[in-house]
Amino acid sequence: MRLSPARVLVVAVPLVLAAGIALGSVALSPAAVWQGLTNGASAHALIVRELRLPRVLLAFLVGGSLGVSGAVLQALVRNPLADPYLLGLSGGAGLGAVIAIALDAGTAWAVPASAFAGALAAVALVYRLAVVSGRRLDPRVLLLAGVVVGAFAAAVMSAVIVLSDAPRLRNAFLWLLGGFSAASWSALAIFAAYAAVPVLVMARSGRALDLLALGDETAHHLGADPERTKRLVYVAASLLTAASVATCGIIGFVGLVVPHAMRRLGSPLHRALLPASFLGGGAFLVAADTIARTVLRPVELPVGVVTALVGVPLFALLLRKSVS
Amino acid sequence: MSGRLIRLLGSTAAATLVALAGCRAREAPRDHALVVVDDAGDTVRLAGPARRIVSLIPATTELLFAIGAGPDLVGRTRWCDFPAEAAAVPDVGDGMTPNLEAVAATRPDLVVLYNSGQNGTAAERLRALGIPAVRVRSDLLADVPRLARLLGTLTDRRGAAESLSVAFDSSLAAATVPAANRRPSVFLLVWDQPPMTVGKGSYLSELLERAGAVNAYADLPTSSGQISIESVAERNPDLVFTMNAGAPAFAGRPEWQRIPAIRERRFVHAPGSEFSRPSPRAPAAIRTLSARIAEASAPR
Repeated sequence: MRLSPARVLVVAVPLVLAAGIALGSVALSPAAVWQGLTNGASAHALIVRELRLPRVLLAFLVGGSLGVSGAVLQALVRNPLADPYLLGLSGGAGLGAVIAIALDAGTAWAVPASAFAGALAAVALVYRLAVVSGRRLDPRVLLLAGVVVGAFAAAVMSAVIVLSDAPRLRNAFLWLLGGFSAASWSALAIFAAYAAVPVLVMARSGRALDLLALGDETAHHLGADPERTKRLVYVAASLLTAASVATCGIIGFVGLVVPHAMRRLGSPLHRALLPASFLGGGAFLVAADTIARTVLRPVELPVGVVTALVGVPLFALLLRKSVS
Repeated sequence: MSGRLIRLLGSTAAATLVALAGCRAREAPRDHALVVVDDAGDTVRLAGPARRIVSLIPATTELLFAIGAGPDLVGRTRWCDFPAEAAAVPDVGDGMTPNLEAVAATRPDLVVLYNSGQNGTAAERLRALGIPAVRVRSDLLADVPRLARLLGTLTDRRGAAESLSVAFDSSLAAATVPAANRRPSVFLLVWDQPPMTVGKGSYLSELLERAGAVNAYADLPTSSGQISIESVAERNPDLVFTMNAGAPAFAGRPEWQRIPAIRERRFVHAPGSEFSRPSPRAPAAIRTLSARIAEASAPR
């Protein structure tokens, strides 16, 4: 039987979600988890309903967002190495977060808000640089602009870290490693409400991206508007990634590898690839976060470490399989 | 610009001078020589008692002042904020990656470094310049009297170091709260995003246990680590220790409201540097901590 992404995902997504809710830094029996889910008065309702459930769902949404953004950006810049952070976003977000941490900003939401502002500023700058001669969005310039803006932001960020006082220095790095410790129902609600529009925009652009792959000219003749598509998906992917960085820091590897894995499992057509990347990214990140929470109980690993530790061997396996 | 150039030339000249002095020291009579083995296992030889010392650890700066060697300090880190007289000692940088040029420019006859792998290179390079460098561990309460005696030997203040060590041990014993039946459990929250705590093998945990409480994460396999809010909820600590002076900003975030101690603002605030480094101030820090724990545990 051929492994199609649809078949894999139909099994993997519910399985991973269930595992994410059943397992955690506190070891609970399946019965206790079920009790916690169904009975608000049970002893573990607080842990399962208020802490674990929003965390798992947030990880799923963020993973899905990174997966679909990665797939779209790889198509847009026609480069398999593209990932959602490539376009200056991680640098801008990191700089914003580090400034908030260094200044010891006194409010609870200062770090995510500042990271979001930093990411948006980087996106705006990259976009401005990439729109050449006032009309066309050039993917190659986009890529280069992203790299230079990211490098500049990273340099400023390093300077801020070095000049701020010692304990904060280490802690700023910790935030940048990413994680879902700040998950709550309100964080989930904010992210879900925000992510809905860019995710739908990208999901609907599948056909246009397929046409774009044939070249701008051909796409144009076949009735697509390449310029509009490029701008729309770039802005959607960037806005979505900015929100995910603000929510949980920089989690590498999901946006890069999940789209490739989905392409290798099934058809490279974006109509199928985009939903598959969303579901696959979500399942992958929930699995990685579950591992991060449980392997060294009660110590938690940064989720970005796990995405690479688990994702690299898995992906290497996929690469070999598709070659042989 | 020219000031910088002069400093640069000055420090090169100083390094040369120090190297020459080092050569001469080897010919000096052996009876004044001091030989110690530092915490990295290196044998360090001084021609005589150290009289120009650069201390690159805030804790050893405190100790040097406490044994009367404060006037011999010619360099300290940016973080050496105690005692107040330390402010008069020249600042040679943040101490984590020692600025060798700035250190050499003070013409020291002893440099005290933290025992980290990174500082191995710095120690080697200083020794190559003829400057004795010791690498020491300063992590726990037991390091205080141990380092006091080591620094006493290096500065020829053995008497003062010995009496400081003896006094430290007895005031530590006096400050320690005897084990009670019901000790409040305290969650040592050293950072909130992501949540970080420290385990049993840490200075903060030592202070806490002696102040009559238990560390909610005494079972942590590492000295410090990231933990999830879920496990804090399960452990349900009585109190939360923070290094903030007031209620920390994260206490308003929704995910933390599931922890009763945070929702009810049962915080133990400990912003002072005496809580972050093992020093002769530890007994006083323990007394402060036990008073704050009692205050925070009291029903309101």
